[in-house]
Amino acid sequence: MSETILALEGVSKSYSGKPAVQNLGFTVERGTITGFLGPNGAGKTTSLRMSLGILAPDAGKVRLFGKNPGAAAMDRVGFLPEERGIYKKMKTEDVIVFYARLKGMHKDKALDRAVGMLKDFDLGHTVGMKVKELSKGMAQKVQIISTLIHEPEFIILDEPFSGLDPVNQKSLEAMVKSQADEGRTVLFSTHVMEHAERLCNKIILVTHGNKIFDGSVAEALGEVPRRVIIEAPADQNVGDMLGALGYVVEDDQAEDGNRCWHVDMKTSVDAQDVLKACVDGGVTLARFEPVKAHLHDAFVHMVEASPHKGQETV
Amino acid sequence: MRAIYLIARREFLSYVATWGFWLSLASMPLFMGLGIGIPILIESSQPTRYYVLVDETGGSLEQAIFEGAEASRIAEQERAVQAITELVGDSPQIEAAIASQTLENDGGRYVRISPDEIGLATLRPYLTGDALVDTPEGEQPLFAAVYLRGNAVDGIEIEYWSTNLTDAGLRTQFRRSLRDYMQQSRLRDAGISAELIETVNALSPTVRELNPLRTEEAAEVTVAERLPLIVGAGFAFGLWMVIFSVVNMLLTAMIEEKGNKILDMMLASCRHHEILIGKLLGVAMVSATLLLTWGSLAIGSGITIQQFASATDMPIADILAAVLDPGLILPAVGYFIIGYMMYGAIFLAIGSLCETLQDAQSLMSPILLVMMAPLFIIMTAFDSPDSPVVAIASWIPVWTPFIMLARLPLDPPLFDLVGTTAVMLTTALIVTWTAGRLFRMGALNHANQDTIKGWFSFGKKKPVSEA
Repeated sequence: MSETILALEGVSKSYSGKPAVQNLGFTVERGTITGFLGPNGAGKTTSLRMSLGILAPDAGKVRLFGKNPGAAAMDRVGFLPEERGIYKKMKTEDVIVFYARLKGMHKDKALDRAVGMLKDFDLGHTVGMKVKELSKGMAQKVQIISTLIHEPEFIILDEPFSGLDPVNQKSLEAMVKSQADEGRTVLFSTHVMEHAERLCNKIILVTHGNKIFDGSVAEALGEVPRRVIIEAPADQNVGDMLGALGYVVEDDQAEDGNRCWHVDMKTSVDAQDVLKACVDGGVTLARFEPVKAHLHDAFVHMVEASPHKGQETV
Repeated sequence: MRAIYLIARREFLSYVATWGFWLSLASMPLFMGLGIGIPILIESSQPTRYYVLVDETGGSLEQAIFEGAEASRIAEQERAVQAITELVGDSPQIEAAIASQTLENDGGRYVRISPDEIGLATLRPYLTGDALVDTPEGEQPLFAAVYLRGNAVDGIEIEYWSTNLTDAGLRTQFRRSLRDYMQQSRLRDAGISAELIETVNALSPTVRELNPLRTEEAAEVTVAERLPLIVGAGFAFGLWMVIFSVVNMLLTAMIEEKGNKILDMMLASCRHHEILIGKLLGVAMVSATLLLTWGSLAIGSGITIQQFASATDMPIADILAAVLDPGLILPAVGYFIIGYMMYGAIFLAIGSLCETLQDAQSLMSPILLVMMAPLFIIMTAFDSPDSPVVAIASWIPVWTPFIMLARLPLDPPLFDLVGTTAVMLTTALIVTWTAGRLFRMGALNHANQDTIKGWFSFGKKKPVSEA
């Protein structure tokens, strides 16, 4: 059984009476990449801050490395906050060394490693430059290096992809994977599902301060009804014909005088059954497209189906 | 402790690396130098004024004027001695220093010339600048032409011709000299001898200031005893200036960090109280560096002046003893720490709530008013440190550090000492704790300047919420 690095049990937090997080519970296991997903204002940042002891929960319990989150645990964690900035007047390597020393690293070792990591991140030429001379993307890389410089066991990244261009987003994804490959545990929050879908062993979905899903990506995708898109001549009523196989709704996107139908299949039905029904019914198919579900669809589906939808949170 | 040390160190080094720090470091000696140097520069750069004096009475008035000038110089010296005596008491050394200084500065500014032609019609072009006078400094316009008429009994008329309306030195000197001459002539005419007049003019009481707490032999009040009062008030001013300038540094740096989203990164590595204390300590080290440098410069200058300058007999040893008195220095250090902690924590908390200096200004205004008040009270304390206003004001905890420093040399009652210190320490703890909470809220973006304004808007109608 793998070790639990972080555990939240029934954690709640309110600001001025307005709930930000309500009765939240989840665990993060050693060596995994966990995605903490939710729309803006879902309570992700508050939850991460409580996980590190930066904020105290109003109710519930937080265990980091099996203990209450304290100063000692911070040295084992690398946290990249959502709102991040670094001292603009300092040199790149000095900023990194400063954060490394805050985490307990020796100055010389920190400097060696800072220069090495800058090179690894294609920023070797910035050694000796002041942060204010760097581009925004470069500065973000320096922040990420500052988070990882002390080789933390547990890496928490709050919206790490925001503000990065597609190239740098890809680099960051590679970095997250490599950290996990080296045995580190990663927890990151995002509201962009594609990153989570590619990276995560496990995802936790929150909305309005409540958890609505906790499991693997495959399990999340299993929550989404599988869909087939069909286009047929306007005089053929596919909707009535396929109603027994699932939920059928007409779309107005069809062209050339055709009609378009979305079929969300029942659990016991698959695309072959739908195709057979069409053939048996003499439907002249202009389009038959089984749709591969994405985490985004699963997320939207689960949020829409959530009993917490419409609740007001901070 | 590690985080506090690292943050304090980073803060210190970041300030020391700025131009502002070095300007601040240089400002005190620079201003002192300018304060002393500019008047000397102005005085020494004054052009020599050439004038013509025509005594139409045959020379008696001219003689009176030159005797009067000498008497004025002596009187000026006596006034300077009197002023310094009122400040620090009788001191033969200071009198000697002023006498030597007055002699050095005397004369040379107005130079009389005696042309062959002294009629106004001849001199007018020289007065208007249409013609120039040959002088050792080259050709110069004539500054003034003065004609003296009449006599001491019926009245003296000074006809003073000059295009310069602002430099009244020569005119005033002539008027004073001849006024004294007229008064003395009248006294002599009344049968009073010149010796008696001189004797009367020289009369002045001898003041012996004695302390009734001591016996007759040791009762004489010395310069060394007065100096602590001045040094105490000086310390209070200095403390106010240092705290005021340092907390402003804290505020601007905090706002910059808040605006640049650095606080969130810091909170990922250390706790908010470590950031708060680290920053306070870092800037405290900056101010300690400033104070130590200025203090060393002042002591070094004092010793240098004593050894090399003309004022060799200044009581530097007494002044240094007063400045370095542990009875004043140790409380000053304590008051600095407490005062700095209170105001520094408040300004840091304000900085953490604001993204820009404009945001901070509305919160700072009432605090700046509170900070300005002790400045005026210290001025009162300088003249009357035992005033009830000063005593009461010293109980207001945010003013205690400044005002008690000014009161300390007067040996205030033990109750006042202990009481004000207890109230100040309690307030400092409450203020620092509250500021720490605010700092945390501000750093985590859970509060901003409007939160504070909201606390003071009791009874005000709340705006209608948007739908």
